[in-house]
Amino acid sequence: MTNTQPRVRSRPEPGRRGMTTVKWVVLVPVLLVMLVPAYLLVVNSFKSQQDITLHPFGVPLHGLSLRYLRTALSSPDFSLVRAYLVTAAFAVGVNVLSILVSGPAAYVIARGTRVGYRVLLGIFLVGLFIPSQVLVIPVIYVLKFLGLMGTVPGFLLFETTLTLPTSMFLYVSYVRTLPRELDEAARMDGAGPGTTFWRIIFPLMRPVVITAIILNTIGVWTDFVNPQIILGPGSSLYTVTTSVYAAIGQYSTNYTVVYPNLLIAVVPVLVFFIIMQRNIVSGLTTGATKG
Amino acid sequence: MLAPATVLIALFMLVPIVLAGYLSFTDWDGLTPNPKLVGWANYTHLFADADVRQAAVVTLVITVIGTLACNVAGLGLAMLLNRPSRLNHLLRAVVFYPYVVGPIIIGFLWSAILGADGAIASVLTAGHHSPWPFLSDPAWAVGSITAVVVWSQFGVNVVLYLAGLQTIPASLLEAARVDGANRWQTFRAVTWPVLAPSVTVNLVLVLVGLLRVYEIVLALTNGGPAGRTNTFAFLILSSSFKANKLGYGAAQAMTLMVVIGALALGLTALRQRADRAVSA
Repeated sequence: MTNTQPRVRSRPEPGRRGMTTVKWVVLVPVLLVMLVPAYLLVVNSFKSQQDITLHPFGVPLHGLSLRYLRTALSSPDFSLVRAYLVTAAFAVGVNVLSILVSGPAAYVIARGTRVGYRVLLGIFLVGLFIPSQVLVIPVIYVLKFLGLMGTVPGFLLFETTLTLPTSMFLYVSYVRTLPRELDEAARMDGAGPGTTFWRIIFPLMRPVVITAIILNTIGVWTDFVNPQIILGPGSSLYTVTTSVYAAIGQYSTNYTVVYPNLLIAVVPVLVFFIIMQRNIVSGLTTGATKG
Repeated sequence: MLAPATVLIALFMLVPIVLAGYLSFTDWDGLTPNPKLVGWANYTHLFADADVRQAAVVTLVITVIGTLACNVAGLGLAMLLNRPSRLNHLLRAVVFYPYVVGPIIIGFLWSAILGADGAIASVLTAGHHSPWPFLSDPAWAVGSITAVVVWSQFGVNVVLYLAGLQTIPASLLEAARVDGANRWQTFRAVTWPVLAPSVTVNLVLVLVGLLRVYEIVLALTNGGPAGRTNTFAFLILSSSFKANKLGYGAAQAMTLMVVIGALALGLTALRQRADRAVSA
């Protein structure tokens, strides 16, 4: 760079404009591909089968109706509203269990100095790479042995186990950043390890706990295989995913069933996503980049 | 304080893995409590099974193409959306939302779009074209599955690459600019080497994720036409499981687990040189 040009403003300007053009040439098609399915989902939830199959992209102002959504909501076989409540209850249950179980364990491992603790952490982290499809067949065997197959406790325990690798990883790396002086001060005051964790350490873990809750909630909400196989159709307990599968599976070309059911299933998740967007994105980032 | 977590992981992960190993040498049907040992029969059957070979090929195609596509699209869009602005935050959400919707619902939505009477077929028929066989021709169907999987997953890679881009010191980019490097040179000399650990994480995560694609196949093609779009995970859960051949399914699951473990470790080892170069 020459000294006669103290500011090189003139160069980046045309470059940036070129970049902006490239950016939109790439982005517009990508955004269309991302958003068109969402558009079809919303629009077609209000249309008749004929309107959907003849003009899937059209918005017939006179033909829009709420009755397909109402039918989907009031279907006697699969109550999506009930499925929401069931899934939400499962998400709460799994999150509570997961925190109760992995919080103290992560604290002990993070503060531990012996090799055994590192090995134990390693075992938890291996779980990140084990697909639940691999586990589910022998897990059925274990659950049958314990008499928990097809039961809610059995499902919750397995689903909680699936959250442990990520939670342990997040919690251990976070607790390691907290000063040990906190523990010592608490011990001086006569607190045992349990009290120290729940009273002193856990309140400081708020950000990472929120991250874990978000990841676990998405995990439980979108899980299909485990509720389908462990709870099974026999238990008559449907989550959102298994009830959508039950409702649509046999009517997959009756679009007045497909679109409204999918829309109802998606709306609460999208609302959650819009409210929590920044937390989800930052949670996912911390969840994966420190690996 | 360690006990509950250790018991859970032992009961629902370690014991099941050992048990899957054991069950893979039996003829367990999922019902009888005492399965009979059959030696290596499940494994010899597995390697001779045309369905397994078919599923392995389909899984390989989805995994290789999908991993490349997710990473190219993920890194490319991350670079375009890197500048923090209101609009870019919104656009990041737009590429990311399928992750929270979940694969089974995405599969059904796309089957309503790509299916024989689906949205695209309607438009083509209205224009007097014959509809494209997105899901009815085996080769097309594998392509459709791959495309939908990439559609639903690459947003995660965008987010992870954005995090990686934040780790590039502004001083390095500034230095490259002062030295007169153009955009491509800056990318080659600064961005790409510093991003190496992100690339490793993204490659491994997508690879492990794509080897277990199941729900999207279930909703889009149900393995069809004629089993030609079975993935490995689909074969385990839908064929072996439904047919009560759980011993055989366990052998398939063990094989998948070994493949995933070997690939994840292999890829991490391969990338180690690039990763080390950054920390040096």
